[in-house]
Amino acid sequence: MTGPLDRLLAQERGAQRLLLARAALLAAVVAAASVLLLGLSGWFITAAAIAGLAGPAAALAFNYMLPSAGIRLLAILRTGARYGERLASHEAAFGALARIRPAIFRALAAQPAGTALAFGTGEATARLIGDVDAMEMQFVRQSAPWGVAAALIAGFGLVSLGSVAASIATACCMAVLLIIADRLARRSAPLGQAVQYAAGALRETFAGLADAAPELQCFGLEPWAAAQVDDRSRALAAAQRAQAEAAGWLDLLHATAVGIAAAGAAILSAGSGAPRAALAALAAAMTIDAGTPVLRAMIERGRMRAARDRLDDILKTHEGAETYLENASPRALPNTAGPSRSALHFVLPAGMCHVRRGDRVALTGPSGIGKTTLVEKMLSLRPSAPGEIWLDGDDIGLIPAEISRRSFAWAPQDAALLSGTVRDNLMLANPDADDATLWRALHDAVLDDRVRALDHGLDAWVGENGARLSGGERRRLAVARAYCSLAPWLVLDEPSEGLDRTTERLLAVRLAQRLDTTGQGLILVSHRPALVALCPRRFDLTQAGLDRRSAA
Amino acid sequence: MTALSSSDLASTDPTPRARRQWLKTIAQGGRRGDAAAAWLMLDSVAAIGFAGGLAGAIVAVPAGAAAVLPWVMLVVLSGGLRGLVVMLATRRGARQAENAKVTLRRRIVASALHRDPGAPTTTGVLMAAVVDEVDALDGYIARFLPARKAGAIAPFLILLATALASPVAAGILVVTLIPFIVAMALAGGAAAEKSRRQFTALARLTGRFADRVRALPVVLAFGAEDREAHALGIAADELAARTMGVLRVAFLSSGALEFFAALSVALVAVYCGFNLLHLLPFPVPEQLDLGRAFFVLALAPEFYAPMRRLAAAYHDKQAAETAADRLIALPAPASPMPASLPATPHALRPDMPVLPALAFRSVAIRYPGAERCAVSDLMFDVPPGRIVVLTGPSGSGKTSALHLLLGLAPLVAGDVLIDGERLPPGGSLAPSASWAGQHPLIIAGTIRENLRLACPDATDDAIDRAVVQAGLRPMLMARGGGRMAAGLDTRLDARGGGLSGGERRRLALARAMLKPAPILLLDEPTAHLDALSEIALVTTIVAACRGRTTLIATHSDRLVGIADHVVRLGDPA
Repeated sequence: MTGPLDRLLAQERGAQRLLLARAALLAAVVAAASVLLLGLSGWFITAAAIAGLAGPAAALAFNYMLPSAGIRLLAILRTGARYGERLASHEAAFGALARIRPAIFRALAAQPAGTALAFGTGEATARLIGDVDAMEMQFVRQSAPWGVAAALIAGFGLVSLGSVAASIATACCMAVLLIIADRLARRSAPLGQAVQYAAGALRETFAGLADAAPELQCFGLEPWAAAQVDDRSRALAAAQRAQAEAAGWLDLLHATAVGIAAAGAAILSAGSGAPRAALAALAAAMTIDAGTPVLRAMIERGRMRAARDRLDDILKTHEGAETYLENASPRALPNTAGPSRSALHFVLPAGMCHVRRGDRVALTGPSGIGKTTLVEKMLSLRPSAPGEIWLDGDDIGLIPAEISRRSFAWAPQDAALLSGTVRDNLMLANPDADDATLWRALHDAVLDDRVRALDHGLDAWVGENGARLSGGERRRLAVARAYCSLAPWLVLDEPSEGLDRTTERLLAVRLAQRLDTTGQGLILVSHRPALVALCPRRFDLTQAGLDRRSAA
Repeated sequence: MTALSSSDLASTDPTPRARRQWLKTIAQGGRRGDAAAAWLMLDSVAAIGFAGGLAGAIVAVPAGAAAVLPWVMLVVLSGGLRGLVVMLATRRGARQAENAKVTLRRRIVASALHRDPGAPTTTGVLMAAVVDEVDALDGYIARFLPARKAGAIAPFLILLATALASPVAAGILVVTLIPFIVAMALAGGAAAEKSRRQFTALARLTGRFADRVRALPVVLAFGAEDREAHALGIAADELAARTMGVLRVAFLSSGALEFFAALSVALVAVYCGFNLLHLLPFPVPEQLDLGRAFFVLALAPEFYAPMRRLAAAYHDKQAAETAADRLIALPAPASPMPASLPATPHALRPDMPVLPALAFRSVAIRYPGAERCAVSDLMFDVPPGRIVVLTGPSGSGKTSALHLLLGLAPLVAGDVLIDGERLPPGGSLAPSASWAGQHPLIIAGTIRENLRLACPDATDDAIDRAVVQAGLRPMLMARGGGRMAAGLDTRLDARGGGLSGGERRRLALARAMLKPAPILLLDEPTAHLDALSEIALVTTIVAACRGRTTLIATHSDRLVGIADHVVRLGDPA
């Protein structure tokens, strides 16, 4: 059975078939030209030597024009073909990836709640990118077998000029090489897995210890902790070395095969005279040499397969999700037992909290108590328990996420900017916003002066995840982005962390004005008194949902 | 936020020179890196044997199979030898890379364990550095460096062997090399610049995808997944078109290498043929025979082989340079890591019989890159043997104040006094302090081993006393089937599996009590506990504080209740 990834790849192979055919053809030309070039050169020299020894008459009778022109032609052909092959295979790979990447992105977006947040962490993303890159590599390498086939045909034909036995021996040599290489690749596949486990163990150990700095300090455990990490680090490096050494065996095998093929062809063709023996020996050597790309691909096979499996899983759940959505009714039926419509409700330890449209509420409590988690559940980025959060009378877990999310304009705690321009970031929230709207949002987020001072204003590049901005500026840009959306509730998670007091107060004043104008509700996660003061209602998550109506 | 801060660091690009210097120091973990290069050079020597064997075999053909056989054996042996030395070079290079990586990781880990919490380098960034960036150096050390060293010498070995057989053929090789070198030298930076552009262009193709995957939560939150997927396809197409332009040029440089390699073979073949036919249109000082001609021809492709190997390893170099830029930007270890605690005031000895007094005088803490002080103008006293509780909203700097005492937070103004003696900048009370926090360190091992972390030579009696005081007895009895000692010997995994939140906190307290330290620092020791467990734990905390000068950071009103003195931090807005 073919997985969704295979279907996608097959489709792209179809779309890129002209380029792939060109790449395959050129790869075949490269390999055949290499075999012919060396074979012809060997024959030419040997025949020339014999003609030269036979005297000037024989030398003059020797047709040197054709072979020497052929040699030059083949040399140029080989170079040009290899250049063309690299271009064609890369172009095909880029073209295919331009469609495979969006498909995988769509599939990721449709994953069950919680997956998106997991991809915010480095390891999962790194692995996904690596997997997609592996697919690109696969496209680039698609032409390799054609090269080997062409080399085999050219080699078989050329070596048979020496003797048929020699050409059969060359083909056998190639077959044995590929069989043993396949065995080696199979044996070393677990080594790749061992590297992944070792890397995971290093990450886990390091993360556990790096966050325990005070305890390590107090108990004098730093050298111990360093040794712990060092153990994992050495295990990882050793696993990687074992993998490299396995690849080394392939080098040994390959070079030995080249020697045996050349020697075998020379000795088996000895009966046909020196020129043909020379031709056979060099052609046989080059035939085996042309196997290099396929051997490299074999070593990578385990990694490729793992990458395909993982991508397949992502694409599979996507397909599943689509059929589920088609079968389920787009909205759950109003739950008569549930809370009233046209408001947001969520369950806290002490009971149900009721937030009407236009209400301003603050969620407070010590860090780690689950404020951000609650917000992420509202946005369906995490699964919520049945009956935990209700939106307009429906359990949020039963509303399709893309519909429930329209109710919220979120500024996350970690800002999460796109690498792009200021405009790219703001328009994410509202693709139809005009410049005036964007500037108003920036003004209300106390960031307009800063953006005006940037070289290209709204079109200034903010760097990877806003790296060109300070921490506070990143947060404010995320707030401005949320302002660009006209969703019924603004959800601001620690919007003023890292701001100085004056800016924070300005942010609070403008936020209040904005809310008065738009009539939006506010769900605020913050400890800062200046901001919390905007919210007449406060829910302390530790004190089990005490709803204090008065300002403190 | 890995992405965020790693690019933060990359924004301060080191100069190429500094980068080269840094890479050099890293690679020189041991001078034996040359061994890999030496093996690669032996590959060229074996290639000479291979060519000689082939030439001998062809010359011997007229004399019959028996005469061919020894030469053919030489071919097989040389072929095997080539494979063997390349394998050994791979092994040696891999070992060299292994050593360099382990050494470099040690350095990063040392600085990681000493970093200022809340400083711009987060655990995520350091983790990326420790695992991924360090791994990116692998190919550079294992393949590129040996190839470069061998590439500087090996072609001349081939040239020498060629010259012995035919000086003119050697001349032809040199002549084809000269335009190549001239082209490379003229293009100089430009050639390198082109392949650098190739590398960045390829990186950018994947970069946008990676970025949108990282930002997926906000993309989803604004319902922009379809727009972004669509834009991703368009951007990839556009970028691919532009990248192809760069690649067209970049592949030319490897094409040139290939062209000269092919040209040299063709020229040598034609020259040898004409020489053998006595048909050269110009006089040459040599007359070749078949053996020498064939030898020279078979050797010609080997002249360029080391340079092609180097070109193949070029992307390893670029990957390493990108990683080096990020690694250089990591903060150096604040102080040489262990043992060096001259910063501890003399008045403070771990075995000191008298309990110390602590005093904060107008203390301000500000992390590098922060727009605001984490703590400012903090002023309070902790008399000897008393309990002071720091309280206030999250982010008001309670934990920072505790970290300051351990040298884990940067003091920008004011003083910390221990018995009236100033704590020097970056100084630490760690040798005289015990710590228990909200996320205790739990290692894979027995409970006893976990406790002994604090005090490796603690007697079993001391451990028993500590666990009883910490209220762990019922749990240990249950785990040990009625015997506490057996309970102490049950194993925990690294995630502390099977322990409740309260039990972990008790374990941390038992550990803190085990160390005979006169100062006790507690960071949110009761956070996330339900009311009943908190009440039970507060009693234990009171026991732990007895006979120690104690500073507690907490939100809990119950802990405030045991304080001799309460300091409220916060923003009087």
